[in-house]
Amino acid sequence: MITLVGMNHRSAPLDLRERARIPEDELPAALAKLKEAAGVEEAVIVATCNRVELIARSARPGAANEIRAFLAAARGLELSEVERHVYDYEGLDAARHVFGVACGLDSMVLGEPQILGQVKRAYEIAREAGATGPVLDRLLQHVFAAAKRVRTSTGISRHAVSVAYAAATLARGIFDDLRGRSALLLGAGKMTELAARHLAGQGVSDLTITNRTYARAAVLADGLGGSAIPWDEFPAALARVDIVLTGTAAATPVVSRAQVRDVLRARRGKPLFIVDIAVPRDVEPEVRSLDGVYLYDIDDLQGVVDAGLDERRKAADEARRLLDLEVVAFDRWRQSVELGPTIAALRDRLHGVGREEIERFARRLSGMSPEHKAAVEELMRSAMQKVLHGPIVALKAAADRGEAAPRVRMYREIFGLAEPHANARGTGEASEPGAADPPGDAPSRGPHRVIQGGRDT
Amino acid sequence: MAHALFLAALAALLLGAALAGIGEWRRREVAARAGAAALAMAWALEFVALTVRGVTDASVPLRNGAEYLLVLGWFVLTLHLFLWFRSGIRALALVLPPIAAVMVAAAHLLPSDARSGNGPGKIWFVFHTSIATAGMAALAVSFAMSVLFLIKDRALRARGGPKLLTRVPSLETVDRIGFQALMWGFPLLTIGIVTGMVYNTELHDRLWTWGFKEVFPVLAWGVFAVLLWARFARGVRGRRSAFLSIAGFGLGLLTLFGMVR
Repeated sequence: MITLVGMNHRSAPLDLRERARIPEDELPAALAKLKEAAGVEEAVIVATCNRVELIARSARPGAANEIRAFLAAARGLELSEVERHVYDYEGLDAARHVFGVACGLDSMVLGEPQILGQVKRAYEIAREAGATGPVLDRLLQHVFAAAKRVRTSTGISRHAVSVAYAAATLARGIFDDLRGRSALLLGAGKMTELAARHLAGQGVSDLTITNRTYARAAVLADGLGGSAIPWDEFPAALARVDIVLTGTAAATPVVSRAQVRDVLRARRGKPLFIVDIAVPRDVEPEVRSLDGVYLYDIDDLQGVVDAGLDERRKAADEARRLLDLEVVAFDRWRQSVELGPTIAALRDRLHGVGREEIERFARRLSGMSPEHKAAVEELMRSAMQKVLHGPIVALKAAADRGEAAPRVRMYREIFGLAEPHANARGTGEASEPGAADPPGDAPSRGPHRVIQGGRDT
Repeated sequence: MAHALFLAALAALLLGAALAGIGEWRRREVAARAGAAALAMAWALEFVALTVRGVTDASVPLRNGAEYLLVLGWFVLTLHLFLWFRSGIRALALVLPPIAAVMVAAAHLLPSDARSGNGPGKIWFVFHTSIATAGMAALAVSFAMSVLFLIKDRALRARGGPKLLTRVPSLETVDRIGFQALMWGFPLLTIGIVTGMVYNTELHDRLWTWGFKEVFPVLAWGVFAVLLWARFARGVRGRRSAFLSIAGFGLGLLTLFGMVR
């Protein structure tokens, strides 16, 4: 049974998320601790600034309580506080949640791509710490493959959802590439700085900054690795830059249509991309009509953001439909693995019957030559194999339809097989012949059985 | 045999243009690839058909309007496949194959009995027609890029907020390819006009006869000359450049009237 306990930006306030976050270097120790909790056999912990997800596979249902207690203890939090702000999922719902998280469907910014890398990192840490096992390995690998498919087929991360990103997206409609472009910043406020940092992140390398107060421009230029120029020199700079970013506190426009028109000749047709994030606007709206000049104000950018969010919501709906299929596929795998012990027990049971019968007839068969004896044994095995074939195929088919559990119960009853050990057996190496129960000899089960390699110890 | 090949080429071209265009627009990789394969097939079929006809008739298959459009379409398709594979600009599939398809389809509708090039000065005829046609193909690429430029420019300036139109490449990309095509097309057109005049003197003992085949190419040449002068001398680019390039190509196409009469 997979159990997931977690908190995200919706379930818990930032303050609690900050305190609950387990630093990366403490994760291996935390994973080891979590595995000490009763019944937890595999664990992965995803801890980012916006969420904590504790994913565990436990032998018994109801592990959520213990995981919550673990989280409270590990981070020195009040258990009641943790209980108020976490959610928990079990079984397929837990798997579905992991799929959604990795695809960014549960993120604050819908479809943001960083979370996938964070989940991958978390899985790597858990694997290196030896905390994962067959089920979580399989789940996470399935999740990563599905996330990749969702990304390419829905394009969920393609659409701009922030003003700075919208500006960069619009710029890419004009320029081949933003690398090596030059930009002029008018105003040295917080917003311009933020947008400038984003542009720099996109490769814009030549930043010129100007401000009515030169000193502030100089400070910002230092911080961004650009150069500052006096305010009255900016009209000349308009002639050579590719991008102009304005965000002054001026009450009337500071860039006029005439100023821009005057530099067009000198620009020799090079397109000019102007982003005006100031309110009230810094650039006269009439600039828009000039050939080769592309002016956007904050409303334009917001429009791109809204359209992007809309597109992401549509893509998210499509992604959820795709993930439903992935969850079903994962469930089929899980069910087919759970068939392992039942099939092995069934084989042992019928072949055991065959062997017993041959032994019972041992005296009557004693006159036979070794070749004949071997032939009789072979005949018995072959007959049993033929009898087994039908039920096994039917069982696998039922598992494919997602109906393994009732079928397994039915087989166990009909053939008198031992009860399976909850999920402990239903994983990984269970299909190994040695993992089978001896027929009719149900071993006693305690709550703290240690399972290693599919064998009880 | 050539006729069957031409029909097969047209079918492959129409199918390829539709698949490549739809595949690119709806972002269906399989359709886009199948379209590219069909276009490559159309290219080869058309090439074989033109060669067969040329060899059978012992002449370049550029003797009337129909043949002109067939070869022009084939050249445009050649440029498309070359640019598509080399530049990796997928959106070309939205414009160039349809242009090639329209040209080749129109060729099948035009009468193909009018024959020229059998008089004296045959070598000048071959030289003139093939260079002029190659030049027009390059100018067709420039035309297509100008159309894309105007579409993208309009989308980026749309009232009520910019449209991203991510399937059309950036203005710079579109401008660059269009300009490169123009830099090939303009000299070829120039040579085409000069060799045409030489052929004229061989045929009519006159440089200039006021036919469609003379007036429209020269008008087109004038438009492209203005475009290039404005670009180099005054730095004029953008919408005005695009309009001029579209007008120049349109005038150049009117030469067809001289070929079907």
